Amino acid sequence: MPVMNEHGERMRKFKNKGKDAAALRRQRVEVSVELRKAKKDEQILKRRSISFGLRDESLSPGEEERNEIVRLSLEEIVEAVNGSNTKLQLQATQATRYAARLLCTGREVADGAAMGRVSRRHFFLFEELSEDLTKGEGAWRILSRQKDPPINQIIELGIIPRLVEFLTHADNAPLQFEAAWALTNIASGTSNHTKAVVEGGAIPAFVSLLSSPHMHISEQSVWALGNIAGDGPLYRDALINCNVIPPLLALVSPVTPVAFLRNITWTLSNLCRNKNPYPPLDAVKKMLPVLICLVKHEDRDVISDSCWAISYLTDGSNDRIQIVVDTGILPRLVELMASLELIIMTPALRAIGNIVTGTDEQTQAAIDAGVLAVLPHLLRHAKPTVQKEAAWTLSNIAAGPCQQIQQLITCGLLPPLVELLDKGDFKAQKEAVWVVANFMTGGTVEQVVELVHSGVLKPLLNLLLAKDSKTILVILDTISNLFLAAEKLGETERLCLLVEELDGLEKIEALQTHDNNMVYRAALSIIEKYFSGEENPDLQPGTGQDGLYDFSVEKQDFNF
Amino acid sequence: YLWVLGSAKMELSDANLQTLTEYLKKTLDPDPAIRRPAEKFLESVEGSQNYPLLLLTLLEKSQENVIKVCASVTFKNYIKRNWRIVEDEPNKICESDRIAIKANIVPLMLSSPEQIQKQLSDAISIIGREDFPQKWPDLLTEMVNRFQSGDFHVINGVLRTAHSLFKRYRHEFKSNELWTEIKLVLDAFALPLTNLFKATIELCSTHANDASALKVLFSSLILIAKLFYSLNFQDLPEFFEDNMETWMTNFHSLLTLDNKLLQTDDEEEAGLLELLKSQICDNAALYAQKYDEEFQPYLPRFVTAIWNLLVTTGQEVKYDLLVSNAIQFLASVCERPHYKHLFEDQNTLTSICEKVIVPNMEFRAADEEAFEDNSEEYIRRDLEGSDIDTRRRAACDLVRGLCKFFEGPVTGIFSGYVNSMLQEYAKNPSVNWKHKDAAIYLVTSLASKAQTQKHGITQANELVNLTEFFVNHIQPDLKSASVNEFPVLKADGIKYIMIFRNQVPKEQLLVSIPLLINHLQAESIVVHTYAAHALERLFTMRGTNNTTLITAAEMAPFVEVLLTNLFKALTLPGSSENEYIMKAIMRSFSLLQESIIPYIPSVITQLTQKLLAVSKNPSKPHFNHYMFESICLSIRITCKANPDAVGSFEEALFMVFTEILQNDVQEFIPYVFQVMSLLLEMHKNEIPSSYMALFPHLLQPVLWERTGNIPPLVRLLQAYLERGANTIASAAADKIPGLLGVFQKLIASKANDHQGFYLLNSIIEHMPPESVDQYRKQIFILLFQRLQNSKTTKFIKSFLVFINLYCIKYGALALQEIFDSIQPKMFGMVLEKIIIPEIQKVSGQVEKKICAVGITKILTECPPMMDTEYTKLWTPLLQALIGLFELPEDDTIPDEEHFIDIEDTPGYQTAFSQLAFAGKKEHDPVGQMVNNPRIHLAQSLHKLSTACPGRVPSMLSTSLNAEALQYLQGYLQAASVTLL
Repeated sequence: MPVMNEHGERMRKFKNKGKDAAALRRQRVEVSVELRKAKKDEQILKRRSISFGLRDESLSPGEEERNEIVRLSLEEIVEAVNGSNTKLQLQATQATRYAARLLCTGREVADGAAMGRVSRRHFFLFEELSEDLTKGEGAWRILSRQKDPPINQIIELGIIPRLVEFLTHADNAPLQFEAAWALTNIASGTSNHTKAVVEGGAIPAFVSLLSSPHMHISEQSVWALGNIAGDGPLYRDALINCNVIPPLLALVSPVTPVAFLRNITWTLSNLCRNKNPYPPLDAVKKMLPVLICLVKHEDRDVISDSCWAISYLTDGSNDRIQIVVDTGILPRLVELMASLELIIMTPALRAIGNIVTGTDEQTQAAIDAGVLAVLPHLLRHAKPTVQKEAAWTLSNIAAGPCQQIQQLITCGLLPPLVELLDKGDFKAQKEAVWVVANFMTGGTVEQVVELVHSGVLKPLLNLLLAKDSKTILVILDTISNLFLAAEKLGETERLCLLVEELDGLEKIEALQTHDNNMVYRAALSIIEKYFSGEENPDLQPGTGQDGLYDFSVEKQDFNF
Repeated sequence: YLWVLGSAKMELSDANLQTLTEYLKKTLDPDPAIRRPAEKFLESVEGSQNYPLLLLTLLEKSQENVIKVCASVTFKNYIKRNWRIVEDEPNKICESDRIAIKANIVPLMLSSPEQIQKQLSDAISIIGREDFPQKWPDLLTEMVNRFQSGDFHVINGVLRTAHSLFKRYRHEFKSNELWTEIKLVLDAFALPLTNLFKATIELCSTHANDASALKVLFSSLILIAKLFYSLNFQDLPEFFEDNMETWMTNFHSLLTLDNKLLQTDDEEEAGLLELLKSQICDNAALYAQKYDEEFQPYLPRFVTAIWNLLVTTGQEVKYDLLVSNAIQFLASVCERPHYKHLFEDQNTLTSICEKVIVPNMEFRAADEEAFEDNSEEYIRRDLEGSDIDTRRRAACDLVRGLCKFFEGPVTGIFSGYVNSMLQEYAKNPSVNWKHKDAAIYLVTSLASKAQTQKHGITQANELVNLTEFFVNHIQPDLKSASVNEFPVLKADGIKYIMIFRNQVPKEQLLVSIPLLINHLQAESIVVHTYAAHALERLFTMRGTNNTTLITAAEMAPFVEVLLTNLFKALTLPGSSENEYIMKAIMRSFSLLQESIIPYIPSVITQLTQKLLAVSKNPSKPHFNHYMFESICLSIRITCKANPDAVGSFEEALFMVFTEILQNDVQEFIPYVFQVMSLLLEMHKNEIPSSYMALFPHLLQPVLWERTGNIPPLVRLLQAYLERGANTIASAAADKIPGLLGVFQKLIASKANDHQGFYLLNSIIEHMPPESVDQYRKQIFILLFQRLQNSKTTKFIKSFLVFINLYCIKYGALALQEIFDSIQPKMFGMVLEKIIIPEIQKVSGQVEKKICAVGITKILTECPPMMDTEYTKLWTPLLQALIGLFELPEDDTIPDEEHFIDIEDTPGYQTAFSQLAFAGKKEHDPVGQMVNNPRIHLAQSLHKLSTACPGRVPSMLSTSLNAEALQYLQGYLQAASVTLL
């Protein structure tokens, strides 16, 4: 029996019946190395262009702006920013900002996606595995693959500290604004670009600009701070230590324009993001009430980003989950999970998925909020990633006590589960296998029987052909568990027949030659235990017409 | 000697090279007297520094090719044995040698001739498994750099090595470590591999007319395609997603490529082109299964290409793997809902049926050859489903896949084919019989939706009229005058009956039985084997009321001819140890029961002769097993009608048995013991002297050393004890210590201790008390020692059953006295530490009953429980007993015990019975003495309370918990007694 990994642990718990639900729950992060391409999401792209669109409209429409920008050489920029002519300073700053922005656009074209800082986090959203990478190096590599941008030269020429200094020129609002914009764009580059901005001293400057009397300047600062916070836990905490939260939260009011509110929400979400370490608890507690209000807002982008924030906050230990559960936000999250808007449903599902990795009580809170009524639709969703997330969520609910498993049955989750196992995308199928595995481990015999009656075996056994050793092993262990249940019911023979009928036997037999040791041993043990004595069950039933040589009858009158 | 044995270091000198050469040469000597010492010597010096370097020098520079090869093999084996550094064990290769090996091996491998290259490549992958990537950082770069060389001999060496390094990605579990390595490999390897792939394809077109160049290039392409599979297995790497166009476009065009120069004349062995296309099918299947979302745009193209490939590929065996891979690809895709549209067009379906499925279902020359000359293999493939990689099987899977969405149209299309093939056959059967074979196969694969060995087809396509086909097309073949004409069609027909036995009405089966019996005489091994197997399967079918479908009465007219033909079939060439026939014999006996009695004298003679013959060299375990089962059945059936017949069986069998025992035919000895147990249990009176003569031999330690003997021998000794305890006590009292010695041997083993308890229980139950009196204390001491030193749950369960059985047999007071005579207060300790806490673990109805009755005795018939310090245990013990009655069984097993090799479930009974028909009755030593243990407890308590009024209620009221008390009141009510 496998014992080495988390899964072996599950088996051990099963055998000892001292089932510890916490051990069954699977946290999001299993492997932190990622081979896949980071995922882009079309909804996110829209958001970015809207932001830019709104932004450019309200300030200076893109077309005009391009005409206004004075083309300057690098040398001229350096000279101008270091000089004292405020007009030249403004022009040079604009040119810098424009260079950085062109860069962004250039990338947009090159990647077929907006890779600017605004959407940076979304690299992580869909690929949980990269989340653990410190400072998000994995995702950033994509960006850094682009050919060396001129912005690097600008940085090397030491312009950033000057731009930071411009931020303090309260007397020259246009210059302040241009500098803030330029720095925002630079900070949206690679980690190194962000680092240059931070090391140029931008954090305190931007934090104090949050309280600028000019709304467009404070909004620009929010944006810049969001980009800095999104870089990773280090800068996030640097911002928190710089006391960014109170002035940021102060900007949220019933009269805040929606576009501005979106930026604030996004920046808040970045302040909640990243693990290793998590954001400090007292900071979380300060932000949470405002986030809860924002989740109840009606603007989809505000909702989306506040949901993302909640999802980050719940992606952690049970006490962090508890803080969120205590706010009473669960019903709203479940409601949003049912939203037809992908950008809302995705983070809501994620948050709920995180919450059910918690304790039985936390999971029960999610169930009470109605999560089981929404999951069937999501398991049948057209998007494979949604199916996968939903199945992952369900797998953690199935890891709960049998009362919760019963609710899962009552709420009609078995049919969509079987469908997913049968026809879902491979990633989702893998999660569905875990649902079955957990269910089989924790369910009562009656519940397991119900699961089998729902038709789970056929697709489960088909997945023994999966090209993934772990999935195969989980299925084999699940089948072993099922046999244990069948033994209790005296139905071993019927299960043997069923497995054979569904072509499972030949698949298990074939796995006896699998290259993975644990897989082949698990297959061998099932064959040896249940299928090698093929003849014995055969021999026992009554073959005599008068029943006299029926084995069981024999036992009774075989008296000397 | 130039080397001191095990010396720390060898010089890299010519003299040493010379010595090594001589020893290597000797290792090739056919004479073991020369070879073995040389091998031993080499092993003894391999720990020395520079030894591997000497080998590498030799394999590079030796003048003799045979030494080069020998050195390379020795080197690889040396690496295999020594490279891994095991924790807490000394490092077997010194660090400088490791560094030198890693520095030199790649160029050495690449410049070596192929034979040596393969060995070194293996060695590299062994080293790589341990050292790559951390301890061998430059390996990848070194390999990749060689891609530039343009020398495809070198490139193929690199590719082969890479393949052996990376292929583990296909089966290992996802982990940080593994994925970090893959990432590293991808970063360094993916781009060069892609470039090499493109370059190689270009070279293929420039060298399109150069056969020898093409062969090398195609070998590279195969390896590249395999590497693609390994690198893409765990997840879809970013690089390959970005370059999917390049890879898939080229894979696709390679699938459609043909070049006369690459075609081989060999009919059996797959050529390079087939191997490459086969791997590409695997690659496409991998993407279709795992990366469906990303692969979707390419999939339809691959479906078309693979289908065209199938249409144009010939019938030769060399294409089998390719064809079955390709069909399996289509089968897996056509079941997916979102690709349904690729298949649903009627014309597409028709072409798939006509051009892909039907041709691959045809009976080929190779099949015919196997049918005639290699029937065992043919039967295994056809009957037992070991046909996973065959074309027929793949085609069959495709039919089933297509039926998922298109059952109606597919059935319709095939019905047309079936009819036309049958017409072809009818025109000229002797020429066109293969058409009928294909028609039958088609009907079979179309109709079967689910199948098991035990029941045949369990779900059938309702659109196919199976009975009609059976009556019109199967029966006529089986009714034909000659059983030897068209053997393949006969086998098809018989198989049809066999697998559709649950779909065809019983009348038709009854009509078929004489036909099947008749075909037992067919010369073709496949035909008479199938006939035997079909009969055996029909005889196991269940009718109503859990009886057999076919009754002995219905079989009455055929008994003689059935038995005659079955035994005659065993004399047909090639079938002297045919397990299907023997199994049919066993099943026939079991079905026919007493109607076989008239034939038993002849049958038992034939069986014993067979037994004697095969015991010279037992080689077919199944055949042997069914033969012994048949012997058991003969005995049981006959002795049931006529118990005295047991003597004649003993007469017939003992001689052969003696021979088997004397010649120590290990495979048969456990069977012999079981048959002897059965015979012995048949005796009504005291044990016959013939058995007693054998008794001392059964205690021989050598017999008990073989684990396979233990269960049947214990069973046999139990039979001796049941029948002959008094005889043993009087005539073989001197053997009692030997008997207890066996018990001791068994009790010492965690795996066999329950068998020891079986024996002990029989001794206690059956032996006259005085005969074991002197040993009793010793027995308990032994048990206590085991309990003290290595108790397991299984041991405790058996122990609890035993002490309670002892208590029933000898009384509770005797139990207390013997415990306390071993050590003061022992009884209390056992009660407190073992019985009370563990009794809940006892499983099995009889076992629980024994414990209940035993504990009741302790509670009610053991004065010290009432008037010594043991009194405080009285209520807890009662509570434990009520728990045993009412609480669910406690089947927790402590952690460390999961890994004990438990061969058998513990229990009072000898559960082991390899021979089902030598089965032992379940034995309840308490028997009718106590029917209902709960009532018995109530009555016993009542009796106790009358003896000492007031005591019992007061003990109950002070510390029995409320729930237990409630249960107890229930028992008292049911027994209509009250406690005083």
